[in-house]
Amino acid sequence: MSDHDSQAHGPITRPGDIPEHDDGHGPHGENDHGHGGIGKYMLVFLALCGLTTLSFFTYSPYWPWRNEPQVGWAFMMAVSCTKAMLVVVFFMHVFWEANWKYVLTIPAAMMAIFLAIMLIPDIGLRNRMVAQERALHMARPSDVRLLEQAAESKLLADPVAH
Amino acid sequence: MNASAASLPHGHADDHGHGHHGPVLQYQPGLPLTRGKLIMWLFLSTEIMFFAALLGSYVVLRFGAAVWPKPHHVHLSEPIGAFNTFVLICSSVTIVLALEMARANKPRLAKLWMVATLLLGTLFLGVKGYEYQAKFSHGIYPWSPRSRVFEKPDLYYGSAVRARLGEPAMIDRLKELDDTPEDKLTPDEVSARRRLKQVRQMVLSPDQQPFDLAVVADQVMPLPAEGTDSHGGAGGHGSHGLNDTFPWLKLPAVIPGGNMWASTYFFLTGFHAIHVLVGLIVFAILLLYNLGPKRAGMIENAGLYWHFVDLVWIFLFPLLYLF
Repeated sequence: MSDHDSQAHGPITRPGDIPEHDDGHGPHGENDHGHGGIGKYMLVFLALCGLTTLSFFTYSPYWPWRNEPQVGWAFMMAVSCTKAMLVVVFFMHVFWEANWKYVLTIPAAMMAIFLAIMLIPDIGLRNRMVAQERALHMARPSDVRLLEQAAESKLLADPVAH
Repeated sequence: MNASAASLPHGHADDHGHGHHGPVLQYQPGLPLTRGKLIMWLFLSTEIMFFAALLGSYVVLRFGAAVWPKPHHVHLSEPIGAFNTFVLICSSVTIVLALEMARANKPRLAKLWMVATLLLGTLFLGVKGYEYQAKFSHGIYPWSPRSRVFEKPDLYYGSAVRARLGEPAMIDRLKELDDTPEDKLTPDEVSARRRLKQVRQMVLSPDQQPFDLAVVADQVMPLPAEGTDSHGGAGGHGSHGLNDTFPWLKLPAVIPGGNMWASTYFFLTGFHAIHVLVGLIVFAILLLYNLGPKRAGMIENAGLYWHFVDLVWIFLFPLLYLF
């Protein structure tokens, strides 16, 4: 960090040089008014609304990949990550922050990813091999098919259907 | 102490000049930001891990499950979820505007935007409560004494339906229904009464087949078929299950994978709702102050927290409603 930076961030350097009371703007207070710009926030807001509509589009009948849900999942995750980046970068002002942002966010993000990955062997793959007793009681695709057949059979359908 | 003094960037020459004051130590923060903001970011980094663990568990459980219910099987309404997403995005903008107004020394406008944020957050919670109510009314609870969800139409399900129909209060109610003249019932209720009679016979029949229980489950609370899933929202208006026609019946229902779904859904959205509530309390407290430039730091920290809550929902919405 340069001398200039330390002067800007260190509140007290010598007697008589005491800065004004910190008004809560933070160390980069002098830049704060520059980066905001309500127009910029409105632009981000519109982008967020547009992106939400895009992910909602996967639910509409016009979405072309209704039979391949994986395409929709990948698309929605991409949209969500973009939205998250917009919120973090602009609304949380990370774009205008100094490099400390990496110190706090990257380790936390790595921990988060490892946490999720570590769940896979015991939890994610738990249905690969299950005890017979458990297999008897857990829901299986055959149960869904049975229910669908029951719905189609119209066994108790109304004789005087309206 | 000496080491600190020696490390002063400008101190060594001046210290001799002001010797009688003793060395003046320079406070050099480890990270160039205010303490409040540093603590908020540290807190948020723990929150990232907290929600990553929850979301990660959900993803892993969901994709590791043999069967997972479709959103409509569990009475989730995508448009309501999308609306709530929109509400939270709006509230993110209003809190940013409150901060900008406070910085620009416009406390009244800052307060106005803060009130807007508070209202939007409350609206979010209200919609969430309505959604929870739609689950509860269909017997979907995160724990077993109240939950009426069974995983499959097996013997255990059949005996649960039998037990429910055999409750003394239920016997009286059913007799009352049987004795009601047809002209006092709607056509829907007449049809449902006929089907309910058959369901009672099927459940009690000693030579019932496994398929019969699937028919019973379908009569009690049908699962919308693949092609028709664009209908039947949270209110369950489109479905004609016995539980819908006679809400007092409260018969056990079958939703394959529904119990794990309920656990993860209520756990994720519940923790998110608690975070929203905490944010609302913080906003309510902030409203007691004059929101001028002096409070901009506080608003910024509250805003950081609120944006994080929004961030979590950005992932929760597609994962829960659209996957």
